[in-house]
Amino acid sequence: MRIREHPILDFQKGPLVEFEHDGRKLEGHEGESIAAALHAAGVRVLRHSIRLNRPRGFFCAIGRCSSCLMTVDGVPNVMTCVTALKAGMRVETQTGKGTIPDVRFTEAPSDPDYPRDLGSVPLAIVGAGPAGLSAAVAAGRLGVECVVLDENPVPGGQLIKQTHMFFGSKEHHARVRGIDIGEILLKEIEDLPVSVMTGTTVLGLYPGKVLALLRNGRLHRLTADSVILATGASENMLAFPNGDLPGIYGAGAVQTLMNVDGVAPGKRVLMVGAGNIGLIVSYQLLQAGVEVAAVVEGLPEIGGYHVHAAKVRRAGVPVMTSHTLLHAVGTDRVEGAIISEIDGDWRPIEGTEIKLEVDTICLAVGLTPNCELASQLGCDEAYVAELGGRVAIHDTDLETTVPGVYVAGDASGIEEASTAMLEGRLAGLSAAAKLLTRPDADELTRLRIEVEEGLRALRAGPFGEHPRAGKQKMVELARSCGGDQ
Amino acid sequence: MVGAAIAYYLARGGMTDCVLVEADYLSSGATGRCGGGIRQQWSTEANTRLAIESVREFSTLEEELDADIEFLQGGYLVLAYTDEDVAQFEKNVGLQQGLGLDVAILTPDEIVERVVPELNTDGVRMATYCPSDASANPFLTTQAYADAARRLGVEIELFTPVTRVLTDGGKVTGVETSRGTISAPLVVNVAGSHSVPIAATAGVDLPITPCRRQILVTEPLERFFHPMIISFSFGIYFRQAKHGSVIGGFGDPDEPAGFNQTSSLEFLTTMSAKLAFLMPRLRSVKVVRQWGGLYDLTPDAQPLLGETDGVEGFFQANGFSGHGFMVAPKVAMLVAQAVAGTEPDLDISRLNARRFTDGPVTTDKSVV
Repeated sequence: MRIREHPILDFQKGPLVEFEHDGRKLEGHEGESIAAALHAAGVRVLRHSIRLNRPRGFFCAIGRCSSCLMTVDGVPNVMTCVTALKAGMRVETQTGKGTIPDVRFTEAPSDPDYPRDLGSVPLAIVGAGPAGLSAAVAAGRLGVECVVLDENPVPGGQLIKQTHMFFGSKEHHARVRGIDIGEILLKEIEDLPVSVMTGTTVLGLYPGKVLALLRNGRLHRLTADSVILATGASENMLAFPNGDLPGIYGAGAVQTLMNVDGVAPGKRVLMVGAGNIGLIVSYQLLQAGVEVAAVVEGLPEIGGYHVHAAKVRRAGVPVMTSHTLLHAVGTDRVEGAIISEIDGDWRPIEGTEIKLEVDTICLAVGLTPNCELASQLGCDEAYVAELGGRVAIHDTDLETTVPGVYVAGDASGIEEASTAMLEGRLAGLSAAAKLLTRPDADELTRLRIEVEEGLRALRAGPFGEHPRAGKQKMVELARSCGGDQ
Repeated sequence: MVGAAIAYYLARGGMTDCVLVEADYLSSGATGRCGGGIRQQWSTEANTRLAIESVREFSTLEEELDADIEFLQGGYLVLAYTDEDVAQFEKNVGLQQGLGLDVAILTPDEIVERVVPELNTDGVRMATYCPSDASANPFLTTQAYADAARRLGVEIELFTPVTRVLTDGGKVTGVETSRGTISAPLVVNVAGSHSVPIAATAGVDLPITPCRRQILVTEPLERFFHPMIISFSFGIYFRQAKHGSVIGGFGDPDEPAGFNQTSSLEFLTTMSAKLAFLMPRLRSVKVVRQWGGLYDLTPDAQPLLGETDGVEGFFQANGFSGHGFMVAPKVAMLVAQAVAGTEPDLDISRLNARRFTDGPVTTDKSVV
């Protein structure tokens, strides 16, 4: 199920290596995720759930949902969607909780240098996606030394799987593909006082802006004067019978699988959700040679740009509005899906059920901001539906209620990558303005106006309605918290 | 949990015209942040009796409330490291056995052979082990009490902070909340550390100091040890819950008083080091979460129970000092009896707040 030919992508893979799966020899590319290697070999069931012993595959492919836990080299509960494959690995389907491993970490927590102290930095940026990298560019250009921390092996965040061209004006990287934007941003920071630490998970953010980092299996401590949280978002799940069957994936996971790993998620896919992500991923599936049975959308109108919908329709894929997924069919993997029409109150209309023969169901039903670190530190939070869920309350400088801690990108409310990049720049400028002993006020004002104009332009029009309303609510919440005087 | 349990026992006794008012969600305070241990090994007779009664209640609670509360009688292993520990534990065991508790003294070898093969007994002098000590899930237990209370007619108002206790001529008349006033001739203050500001609105000064304690939990794994393992001198308690996670913490003696509930990196690393020392195999187990909560400490580490002098109808059930969950079923039953004006099964007058004005108090030595 590996994608051999692709109109845009040329997959750079590591050498083929052997590994063991439940006692049988398989081959995969070194460095790709264990879950991707297994998927390419036709393995979809990765574990059985603790209570009901239900088969589970992966869902998010970014180390968030814990659906892909397996026992690897004797260690249970390993997230195989983000663990790189190595030659000779022993991978086992995990049933139940897993047993305490016999292996010992080389590092004892009683070592005198535990945790390892990395000292302090003026600015720590969590997340090397579009927002985090843009923040580093903005702050770095003003001479602020910063460290960008990211748990993934390569920087770029979700840009590394976005093969479509961006909209907007030229300054916002319009007509450039997401996969190339990451490269551009990385080039921009090359000569700046910015270091990017990949493979580094920020486990916690403590009072005094102390960050706990997990790097190469070791705990490290880093103290920062300012912190920008550009931690992105997590895929939403939809509740429906059989919703945990292997073969039901988040849209981000499908993108990772086919655009990063070069593995087709299945032969025939049902897409749920006709927002931009649902429509774009449907088109990407077609580009990868995968059939799309239909795109269903509960609302009476599609949520995404019509130009994306048109491309999918031209390829013969029906985009069915006022339709929903009732349940998935199958015993240990998806074998079909029952969809039906719904009325104005979202109730299924009897007699309109259709069974689709599909082996994969892709959910593109929105994202939720990742706000755990802000929450742990004690930043005030609020639930703002227009921004996708709970977010840290932030003022127009993107500063939270903890001074010197900022949010940017999807972590501050779900929007597009283009707005994330501008918000990143804004957070970088705000942090720099406070950190620099003698900031150039005129230059800062000029840069800030440029960013604000860009954000206004991107949020203009009917598609910017939600973020506009959400950000307006945020301004009021920040005021009531005493921010933004 | 004590609040939900009192509401349940009041309703079970016939007083169904009862409202449970909670500032946040169920178990959002100390209960939902606690370790879930249920211990009967105490150093005073009164506490040991109360704890034995509580375990008896806990052991039939799942049936009574018709809910799974993950009750598990895995025992408690209390480790002694110092001469003082040894002397105190020998005294404790005599007292506890005299009250009919099945508790034994174990040598380090016996600990490893009979109870926890994985334990590192370096420095351990001896241990006391009571197999009927237990644990339960604090969230499930509170929810079970609340659900049962609701079924009997109790109203539960969540996200409704009490802003003032209303009094008139030395009698309580109700409470004012963020959502309006509730008239009631009987009010029970079961708000943990927050009981202090609430009582203050009625002019009552409670001898309670809030103080943070921290705790962590690991990934769930198949069972590999049974008892709660604690030590007062080494400073630790940890157990493997029924769902498989190892959960534990320790009290920092230098922790300042206050309402701070954040978590710290120092706790995470110190606790990890303590766990890795006591049970080396835990080194390869992943911590998934850490958090802080508040102990509502009284000067003698005993709760404040009963009616308040000077404010008729205003009852206190707070100041549990970090061991409220384990005695909650029996204490709640006794407080409910006092509120309803019936004779309590056990005398709780020794735990009234007036003990601090009446004379000397005895402190229990078995507090983590």
